[in-house]
Amino acid sequence: MDVKLPQLAEGVEGGTVVNILVAEGQEIQKDQAIMELETQKAVGSIPAPSTGVVTKIHVNQGMEVSVGQVLISIESSGAAAGATAKPAQNPAASSAAPSVDSPSRPSPEATAPPSQAADGYRYESKSGAPPPASPSIRKVARDLGIDLTRVKGSEAGGRINLADMRAYIQWLQEIAGQGTAAAAAAQSGAATPATPSQAVDFSQWGPVRREKMSPLRRTVSRRMVESWTTIPKINQFDDADITALLALRKKHAATFAKKGAHLTVTSFLLLVLGRTLKKHPRANSSLDDSSLEIVYKDYCHIGVAVDTEGGLIVPILRNVDQKNLLQLSQELDSLAEKTRQRKIAIEELQGGTFTISNQGSIGGSHFTPIIYAPQVAILGVGQGRAQPVAVDGKIAIRTILPLCLAYDHRVLDGADAVRFLKDVIAGLESFDEADLKLK
Amino acid sequence: MEPITTEIVVVGAGPGGYAAAFYAADKGKKVALVEQNPRLGGICLNVGCIPSKALLHATEIFREVKESTSRGIEFSEPKVELEKLRAWKESILEKLGQGITGLAKQRGVQVVHGRGHFEDSQTLRVETREGQKFIRYEKAVIAVGSKPAMPSAFDLGNPRIMTSTEALELPDIPPDLLVVGGGYIGMELGTVYAALGSHVVVLEALPSILTGVDADLVRPVTRAAQKAFKEIRVNTKVLKMATAGKQIKVTMETDKQPREELYDRVLVSVGRAPNLADLGLENTRVTKDDKGFIQCNAQQQTEDPNIYAIGDVNGGALLAHRATKEGRIAVEAMLGEASSFDNVVIPAVVYTDPEVAWCGLTENQAKEKGIDVRIAKFLWGASGRALTLDRPDGMTKLIIEPETERILGMGIVGVSAGDLISEGVLAVEMGATARDLADSVHPHPTLSETLMEAAESFYGTATHALSRRSSSPK
Repeated sequence: MDVKLPQLAEGVEGGTVVNILVAEGQEIQKDQAIMELETQKAVGSIPAPSTGVVTKIHVNQGMEVSVGQVLISIESSGAAAGATAKPAQNPAASSAAPSVDSPSRPSPEATAPPSQAADGYRYESKSGAPPPASPSIRKVARDLGIDLTRVKGSEAGGRINLADMRAYIQWLQEIAGQGTAAAAAAQSGAATPATPSQAVDFSQWGPVRREKMSPLRRTVSRRMVESWTTIPKINQFDDADITALLALRKKHAATFAKKGAHLTVTSFLLLVLGRTLKKHPRANSSLDDSSLEIVYKDYCHIGVAVDTEGGLIVPILRNVDQKNLLQLSQELDSLAEKTRQRKIAIEELQGGTFTISNQGSIGGSHFTPIIYAPQVAILGVGQGRAQPVAVDGKIAIRTILPLCLAYDHRVLDGADAVRFLKDVIAGLESFDEADLKLK
Repeated sequence: MEPITTEIVVVGAGPGGYAAAFYAADKGKKVALVEQNPRLGGICLNVGCIPSKALLHATEIFREVKESTSRGIEFSEPKVELEKLRAWKESILEKLGQGITGLAKQRGVQVVHGRGHFEDSQTLRVETREGQKFIRYEKAVIAVGSKPAMPSAFDLGNPRIMTSTEALELPDIPPDLLVVGGGYIGMELGTVYAALGSHVVVLEALPSILTGVDADLVRPVTRAAQKAFKEIRVNTKVLKMATAGKQIKVTMETDKQPREELYDRVLVSVGRAPNLADLGLENTRVTKDDKGFIQCNAQQQTEDPNIYAIGDVNGGALLAHRATKEGRIAVEAMLGEASSFDNVVIPAVVYTDPEVAWCGLTENQAKEKGIDVRIAKFLWGASGRALTLDRPDGMTKLIIEPETERILGMGIVGVSAGDLISEGVLAVEMGATARDLADSVHPHPTLSETLMEAAESFYGTATHALSRRSSSPK
C-alpha cells in the first residue's frame, strides 16, 4: 500500500521532510513514526497506518512534499491489510495522518452519479433535527470536513449513506475542476498572462545568492496573493490622539508589570476593538461566496500580527470581548512569546475574526495592510509620534497614532468603515481609567 | 522529590475518568489517574448507580413475595438482616472496584491516590498519604464529578438528615422517612426504604414528581408510588428543620398551608453540585458558568487549551454514561481526531418501580419548541410478555417526524425500560424511520416487541392493538 500525505490542517498544503525515520526493508509497527515533517509552524511526526515492511521510500530528506504525494510504500502483514488512515498521535504538534489507498474501494462507475448532489441543496428539518446519518457516517464527515446538510440522503427518511457522501465528494471535485478550467479560460482571455514571471538571470548584473522560500514564507505569499486578487479593498485613514492614553499607561504600567503583564498600545487596542466589533458585527463577519450569505460571528477572536525570525505569524486571541485589560495583556505576552519560539499550535492560528497589524514598535506611519481572508477588515497601526495639532483653536503638541482600516467593500461600505474607525478612535481617546483598575 | 511526568493526567476515577484514562492508554499514551478515594469507580460505583441498583434489586423481592400470593405461591413474611444486605452490597462494590484497579494495572495506567490540586496549566499537585507529589502533564482531564447538594438551612450537622450518600449506607430502617425532592434519586431511594418497611413521605416543590419527564411516562410511577409510599405531597416546600430528640421536626408548607411533622430520618435529594472547590482552577485558564459548572467546547476542551473537562463538572444531565462518552471525545480530541459531542443521543433511565427511560427528543421538548411531531404508543396491557411478568403497567412510545417518518425520540415506562431504551438510542442515532423499526423482527414473547408494535401503530397496523394512526400531541 502507498502511504500518502493527507491534508494536514486548514491552509497547510505541504511541508519539508526533516527526517526519515525508517529504511527500506525495515519492519515497522502500526503507529510507529515514519518521518518528521516541517510545516509552516512546527515539526510533526507521521505515524505508520499499519504494521508491515517498508518496500520503498519515495521521498528524500529536505524534499518538499505536498498533500496527496506518496511518501512510502508498505507491504502489509496479514491483518493489517485493511487498516485505514489513523489520526495523529501527537496532540501538541501538527503531526499528520497518512491516507492510504484502500484496494477495496469500488471504482467510481459503481457509485451513484454525481448529479445526485444537486447544486445548492440544504437539508432542512421542521423539527430542527440534524441530517439523518449513522454515527459512523457522521464521523467520516467530520474527518473530511463535509457539511452533511449539503449531502442528499438516498435512504428512507433522507438518511445519508456512504454512497451518498461519495457522490457528493465526486460532485464537489467536478465543480472544482470546472471552476479551475473556467478560471484558466478567463485568464487566458485576459490581457495579462497568469503564468509566473519568466525566470530572470540576475547574475548577469553581478553576484547573487538564492535561498529557498520557507514553508511559512510561501504560505504568507500565497495568502497575500489570494487576498489581493479576490478582495475589492478600500483603505480608510485616520489618526487617534493617544496623549491621554499614554499618560494612563505610564501611571498603571508598574501595577500591571507586577502581575507579569506588559501594558502596550496593542493591549489597549484589543480591549477597544473587542467592544467596537460587538457594536459593528459586520466588521466581524465573513462572506460565504458559495451560499451568498454573510456569516456573523457571535465570538470575537482577534489576530495579532507577530514578527518572528521566520517571518509573519498571526496568532489569535480568543473571546477578546469578554476579557479585561489585564487578561488581554497577559495573553498577548504569552501568545507572542510562544509564536516567536514557534511553539504555537495550528489551532491557535485559526478562527480569527479580525486582525491588528501594529508596526509602531518598529516605526512607520500610515500603511495599507492586506486583509487576512476570510476576514473582512484589518487595522494597520503605525508609530505614535509627537506632532503639533490644533486643540481648541490653539497649537498643542500631542501624540498622534496613525491608523488605517483596510476593508472588504463587498461586505462593508465606506460609511460603515468610517463609523467603525470613529468608534475605535473614540475608544482610544477617551479610554476609561476604570478599565485599568485591577480587581 | 522528582515530579511524575506524563502525557495525560486524569483527575477523578469515576466512569468518565477511568474510561478516559483507559482509552488514552489503549491509544498508546502515558497516563496517570488521580483519585482521592481508595476505591476507584467514583460516585457511580461507590455512592451512586451501583449501590442503589443493588438495593433496588434486593428490595424488589419484597414486592414479588407480596404479589405471589395472587399467583398461588405463598411465602412467609420476609425478614431483613441489614448487616447482611449491607455486606452483600459492599461485596459488589469491592469486586467492581478491584476490577477497575486490575484493568488500570494491565494497561500501565499509573494510579495516584490523593487529592489533586492544579498548580498551573501543566502541573498537578497531589496530596497523598505519603506526602505531596507533583505531576507534570501535557494534557489534563477534569473528571471529579459532583456531590449531593445540601442547602445550608437543612445542614444541622444531624446525621438523621441524610443525602443519598448516607442513605445508601443503610444506617437503619427508620419508621418514618421524609424524602425532600421527588426527582429520580429521591424516588429510587424512597422505593428502597418503603420496601424495607419505612413509611415514606415524598415532598416535591413542583406540581409533579420527576419534573421534566413526559407526563404519560410518569403516571404509572406515581400510581405505583402512591401504593408503596405513605404519601406523595406535591407543591410542598420545606421551610425549616430542627432536631427534636431522636427525631427531626420538619416545618413545611403546601399551597400556603403550613404544617409540622416529626420524622425519624430525612433524605435530602434536591440536586447535585460539582466538586470544584479547592481544585486550584484559579491557577489555570479554566472558566465556570454562573451555576459553577466548567465551560467547555464540543471537544470537551476548557478555556485552558491543556485542560479538558468531562461528566458532572460540566453540568447538564449528570449521568455516568454521558461522562464516559465525553471522556472518549476528550481523548480523541487530544489525539487530533475529528471528534465532537455532535448530536450525541444520551439516554436517561430512572430506576423507579416501574422504570422510566427515554432518549432523543421528548414529547415535552417537542411541545416547548413547537415542533410538529407524531406520537405512536403501545400500551403494555396488550403485551403477552408483560402479562406473564404480571407487569402490564407499562407503555412504549415513539416521537416521530411526520414528513420523513424518522424516529426522533423514544420513551418507555415499565419493568426493564432501562434495558429496552438502548434500541431507541440506536434507532435515533442511525436516523431510523418508524418503518425500519416496524419491519425489524422482534422475538416473541419479549418486552422488546412493544417497540416494534409502537412503530406499527404509527401506520395503524399493530397486531395487538386496534390503533388509529398516530396522534399529534395536544
